[in-house]
Amino acid sequence: MTRVVGTNARRADGEDKVRGTAVYGMDHGVTGTLQARLLRSPVPAGRIRRLDTARAAALPGVHAIITAADVPDTTSGWILKDQPMFAREEVRYIGEPIAAVAAETTEQAEDAVAAIELEIDPLEPLADMDAALADGARLIHPNWESYPMLAPGPRSGNVAWESTLDRGDVDAAFAAAHLVVEDEFTTQRQHQSPIEPHAAVGRFEGGRYVVHSPAQFPFLVRDRLAEWLGVPASKVRVVVTTIGGGFGGKIDAMLEPFVCVLARKTGRPVRLVNTRAEELQTAGPRENARIRIRTAVSAEGEILGQEADTIADNGAYSGEIVACAAVPGLVFGGTYRVPVARYRTRVVYTNTAPTAAFRGVNGPYAMFALEQHLDHIAAKLGIDRRELRLRNVVKAGESIANGQVLDDAVFDKGFARVEEIAPWAEQAPSGNPRALRGKGIGAVTWLTNPGPGGATVKINEDGTAGVICAGAEIGTGAVAVGLRQIVAEELGLTPDQVVILPADTDAGTYDGGAQGSRTLFSLGNAAVQASTQVREQLLAVAANLLEASAADLELADGHVRVKGSPGAQVPLAAVALTALHTAGPISATGRHITPPVQFDSGCLTGALFTGFATPTYHVHSAEVEVDPDTGKVTILRYVVAQDVGRAINPQQVEGQIHGGVLQGVGYALYEDLRVADGVTLDASLESYRLPTAFEAPPIDIALLDNPWPDGPYGAKGAGEPSLIPVAAVIASAVSDAIGKPIRNLPITPFDVLAALREDGTTEGSTR
Amino acid sequence: MPHSFTVNDRRVEVEAPDMTPLLSVLRGPLGLTGAKPGCGEGRCGACTVLVDGRPAASCLTPLALAEGREVRTVEGLAEPDGPLNPLQDALLEHGGVQCGACTPGILMALTALFERDATPDEAAVKESLAGNICRCTGYHKIVEAALAVAGANGGRS
Ligand code: FES
Ligand code: FES
Repeated sequence: MTRVVGTNARRADGEDKVRGTAVYGMDHGVTGTLQARLLRSPVPAGRIRRLDTARAAALPGVHAIITAADVPDTTSGWILKDQPMFAREEVRYIGEPIAAVAAETTEQAEDAVAAIELEIDPLEPLADMDAALADGARLIHPNWESYPMLAPGPRSGNVAWESTLDRGDVDAAFAAAHLVVEDEFTTQRQHQSPIEPHAAVGRFEGGRYVVHSPAQFPFLVRDRLAEWLGVPASKVRVVVTTIGGGFGGKIDAMLEPFVCVLARKTGRPVRLVNTRAEELQTAGPRENARIRIRTAVSAEGEILGQEADTIADNGAYSGEIVACAAVPGLVFGGTYRVPVARYRTRVVYTNTAPTAAFRGVNGPYAMFALEQHLDHIAAKLGIDRRELRLRNVVKAGESIANGQVLDDAVFDKGFARVEEIAPWAEQAPSGNPRALRGKGIGAVTWLTNPGPGGATVKINEDGTAGVICAGAEIGTGAVAVGLRQIVAEELGLTPDQVVILPADTDAGTYDGGAQGSRTLFSLGNAAVQASTQVREQLLAVAANLLEASAADLELADGHVRVKGSPGAQVPLAAVALTALHTAGPISATGRHITPPVQFDSGCLTGALFTGFATPTYHVHSAEVEVDPDTGKVTILRYVVAQDVGRAINPQQVEGQIHGGVLQGVGYALYEDLRVADGVTLDASLESYRLPTAFEAPPIDIALLDNPWPDGPYGAKGAGEPSLIPVAAVIASAVSDAIGKPIRNLPITPFDVLAALREDGTTEGSTR
Repeated sequence: MPHSFTVNDRRVEVEAPDMTPLLSVLRGPLGLTGAKPGCGEGRCGACTVLVDGRPAASCLTPLALAEGREVRTVEGLAEPDGPLNPLQDALLEHGGVQCGACTPGILMALTALFERDATPDEAAVKESLAGNICRCTGYHKIVEAALAVAGANGGRS
């Protein structure tokens, strides 16, 4: 039994957020700070012929203008270090930074940007992946071989990265198959679009760069700055502000290097905030992709072997997509039994804005493709779609395509819970008798990002606890409430007696960033380890005060007390004060790393994620109706069965699921960051449509209790995965309703009407 | 041009061009950064304030239109050192706040609604949020919080 863990405690940052006093990145340095703007490339590809800032620098209010000439000639990146801070000789996408201005006001900075003289000799842009992969295509990075890498991987020319999974005799499986089914799918770019745009305020003090920004992964930002600025990492301090949403888009450094250099040049704090147009056009979205998939099946629908070829658009420079290049293969072969498999993903350079991490990196389109493909197989074999999935889905103790054994898979429970909530054979009520009705169901295995973390826990002299760590609170509540609950549980406190220092790379130990559902998992483990030592220290000091053996003591209600004798107790404050004169201040540090996934290491190349660390299991279903006159899709009912290990705070977990599902609904039906000829066409939220309250479907949630022995209180990662299956199951449901396959995202009313008109039939498919 | 109006019941005088967005004046010279510059183009609702009790996207509201009017921002919903108001409290109680960047705008939109109708139903709540984007929560817990307040006011929840 736990006292605090498992309750819906309130978040520590909540009051400031509802009072409007929380200070976000966009709120830092609004006044009294120099304001910066960037000159960005107006063309997708070209060579800089002339760049002259002299006239602009003489304009009123301008303090400094910097270009590639003012910074070291280095490239940086997380995995593949191919990105310069400023375009030097060549520009590779529209929006690439060429110069940065700091001025008294934003308007003056904008005027100066407009006055910079820039001449570019344009090159024919390689605007899409086909152009970039064509024989003899120009190399977007002629020096691609010289770029440093965090870890080596297969690369070649315009293929920034390649990852393969090759296991077993695939050709034999296809030769022996009852049936071979093949499909091709394409998916679009999706933009994270947090309400807060990217923002950064930089200072130069004590010979160091100090930057305040809403960074999801402050240590990555620190390291990227060090690479670009040519200084040791210790010369950079990243202080994380309140973060107004991230969803992956704020993992990597973006505006930070410009304010750092401008602050050094001007001797003043400098602030830079993206406009919404800059956000959409330059802050990396989820990558567009094309997937070809082919499966060999038996007459009973058993998957005998599978191959898939994925190309994913990297844009002009590399972000997280190369790091996750193995993920599509893991999704194809990680949920349903695929005994032999051959998967390849190529991440391809194009002259478009770089793509980047968005919740569920590389996962949602892989699952979309796989599930539509399974529907196709079910139709060919005349097997019910749900039944086909049940026949193939992995059971606990079975292995997946990379050889990893999923010991704790709970798909059977997941399918059963979904069936209880929304029986496959029943229909939800609808008000539209003419509507076409359809259902979809699908499952996926996902991971908890295994990055490292650490936390220091101390007991303050008033008996409260302090936690120092570099975990960024991106809004999920992982730090603001989950971590407090864990420490409170450990030390016999209430959550509001636990104070957590905001993330700061000078203070906290290294942290792998708010990404991949890892924050509460990793920091929770570290905090439990630290708290265990803190408890021992407390008990040792209290044992003297209480004249009892430490073994007979426990922590409860802010006291150390003798078990079984309620009167014999001493407040933590007294213990902490006594410790100052006896044992020394009460404090300890814990750390955490997830052990490597056990898999068949010979089968993968180019994979930074080699399997599902701390795997989680997900079953989603959707029921839709489609208006045959307008093509409008309405989601009548949506069900999520999710393994979170154990929910530290069920309300916050539900909030993650609600939010992830609606982002998935956006991906499935509305959001399409359109790019043509290297131009990102959507420059405002008028044309890039985010879901509103009207588009939020009813959602039923079943949290599957599946405690993980190596998680804090049994918890696994919970934040990321709810987005991943949404497009897959909605597409299946729409396809079921209209009796036509869905091969592209998003599914717009126009696409639906066009599909309905294809040959005049409107009956649903077999189920 | 000097402009005078009230902000959260305090009289203010601001010297700025007529077309200056009210949002910049609030966040700059007036130092009230509660309203957020989510998009600057009237599409996200994070900058919503009340002008004479009606919700307005302050990023698109020219300063001149505030002349002589009552402007209310999220900072005015509760005394800084006093308890939260029922909507603020309900949002936290029901988990309707994640990153919180949309929250000031959501609170002002709901405030306007509840001042018109103390017991709105779900459709009215959603209608009042038509101009507010929340990218984090999927809206469910925000709507739930508003309906809880309506319930406490005597509405059917
Ligand atoms: S900032 Fe005003 S509506 Fe978005
Ligand atoms: S809570 Fe983040 S946008 Fe609403």
